[in-house]
Amino acid sequence: MKIVARHDEAPGVRTMRLEFQDAGDHEFFKETFRTGMFGLYGVYGEGESTFCVASPETRKDYIECTFRQSGRVTSALANADIGDLITFRGPYGNRFPIEEFHGKNLLFVSGGIALPPTRSVIWSCLDQREKFGKVTIVYGARSVADLVYKHELEEWQERSDVDLVLTVDPGGESPDWKNRIGFVPTVLEEAAPSPDNCIAVICGPPIMIKFTLISLKKLGFDESNVYTTLENRMKCGLGKCGRCNVGSVYVCKEGPVFTAAEVSRMPASDL
Amino acid sequence: MTKILFRDKLDKCVKQWKSDGLTVIGPVQRANISTYAAVDHAAEFDFDLVLPDRSIKDLFFPQSEPMLRYTIKKESINTDECLPPSGPRIIFGARPCDASGMAIDDPLFGWDYKDEYWFQRRNESVIVTIACTKADDFCMCTSLKMAPDSSKGSDILLRPLAGNNGWQVEELTDRGREAFKTISDLLQESADTAASLAVVEKKFDLDACVAWLQNPENFESRFWKEISMRCIGCASCTYLCPTCHCFDIQDEGDTYTGIRRKNWDSCSFALFTMHTSGHNPRSTQSARWRQRIMHKFNYFPGKFSVNSCSGCGRCSRQCPVDMGITETLQEISTLSL
Repeated sequence: MKIVARHDEAPGVRTMRLEFQDAGDHEFFKETFRTGMFGLYGVYGEGESTFCVASPETRKDYIECTFRQSGRVTSALANADIGDLITFRGPYGNRFPIEEFHGKNLLFVSGGIALPPTRSVIWSCLDQREKFGKVTIVYGARSVADLVYKHELEEWQERSDVDLVLTVDPGGESPDWKNRIGFVPTVLEEAAPSPDNCIAVICGPPIMIKFTLISLKKLGFDESNVYTTLENRMKCGLGKCGRCNVGSVYVCKEGPVFTAAEVSRMPASDL
Repeated sequence: MTKILFRDKLDKCVKQWKSDGLTVIGPVQRANISTYAAVDHAAEFDFDLVLPDRSIKDLFFPQSEPMLRYTIKKESINTDECLPPSGPRIIFGARPCDASGMAIDDPLFGWDYKDEYWFQRRNESVIVTIACTKADDFCMCTSLKMAPDSSKGSDILLRPLAGNNGWQVEELTDRGREAFKTISDLLQESADTAASLAVVEKKFDLDACVAWLQNPENFESRFWKEISMRCIGCASCTYLCPTCHCFDIQDEGDTYTGIRRKNWDSCSFALFTMHTSGHNPRSTQSARWRQRIMHKFNYFPGKFSVNSCSGCGRCSRQCPVDMGITETLQEISTLSL
């Protein structure tokens, strides 16, 4: 796929927009892609890395992915320029059942570099805003610099039909920071969104997920109305290479999207 | 009267199969390690081995395998898919545990996406298994509800004669019959009796072990830490296991040309599951050993209705620190009493 645009989100974090070079491949993607699915992005000579498709199912002319430059593959991806070709394998995995969210209030809770998968759901819903009730987004990062999609955060903040709560961890604020300071689960509890007729989509580092689930329980959310996406290390994406399973569940085949009820049945120490 | 293949006719069989275009493979001793490898003459076979050090898996799922070659040019990237070298083969003298190991992995490589590397080799191979007349302390097929003459995964089952001068022939599949049709002149009807099978002592109660593993409370048992304390995470058990199938995908080459390869990987390695963030879902050796046992006797059978273990015992036989599936399941047997 060809890199047609790229944007630096935070130190070391980059978003790339990719366009298909083959009409057949694009057609296949349009037919199969649903929000929540992931792909393996690669550079020949370096390898492949797994991330979600960060663009929504309502915008299928391209794929957007957001990644942190960290190892060999992501460094090669970060070094790739506009016009360069990279590989994409996918889309794999299951999806967020967005039709089932119709008519409901939506709560998105996300931390740090985990906003990309949440963002795919957010835009899938905002692109057909009339089908959903109240939309609340709680997003936090370690510091102001680490917040990703800053331009979109501004856009959501300005929209009257979106309630955005931004926070940074204590010590991560800048002198002109006007939003919340505190960890995501704490800020979520203070914001206290109502669990009535509400679907929660949470995504973040394992530690954030753990405490956010506790907070949502306190707020009265039913586990079956809470969705998350597990992003385990993967190599094949096809249920064979053996590393992404949590207990008996293959995240690449049966996930990556699970309800909190499903997650609670998995062995917690293997998450 | 049974169909018999006498040992003195085997070299003629090898010649016939070779002239039919088959690669003839069997147990051989090569440079301090016994393995299954291609032979030109029957004399190269070593049928005295209890079983080769390396499993038959190598023939279907090699340690490293090219998947595609890439060439990067200024405006384009060319890729050529690499398929396994094709050609029919006959594997003569597989052990029942090895042959059944391949059948165990068929559903894994076939669910959802069909792994063409695996199935091309599976479809081009005839497996001629020789029932075991001897076993060592590590053999545990009977504990896995299999036997020294299990026919699962075999196209032909041979039973050694009491005189050790040949084998009774049981043709099990069309593929086996086809391969033995061309040597039918070399087979004889005879009343020679088969040697008695190896006696493999039952080492644990599999059903009790599985029940213990399926109980979620035991996932956090102290047992896992205790049993795996001496594991050094070398992965020998997984590499030698006929059914362990985990792999990695790596690129080898430079910016302009190279190969994308599928390489064996192992759940024993910490890096296997480590996230980029540094978070590791299976961060301790005990969690990794638990994963291996759970996968073989709880998760895999849950998906494919068969245990991912054929009882060859290589994990215990070759372990540098005397661990293995046998010891672990023996311990679990006592815990579940």
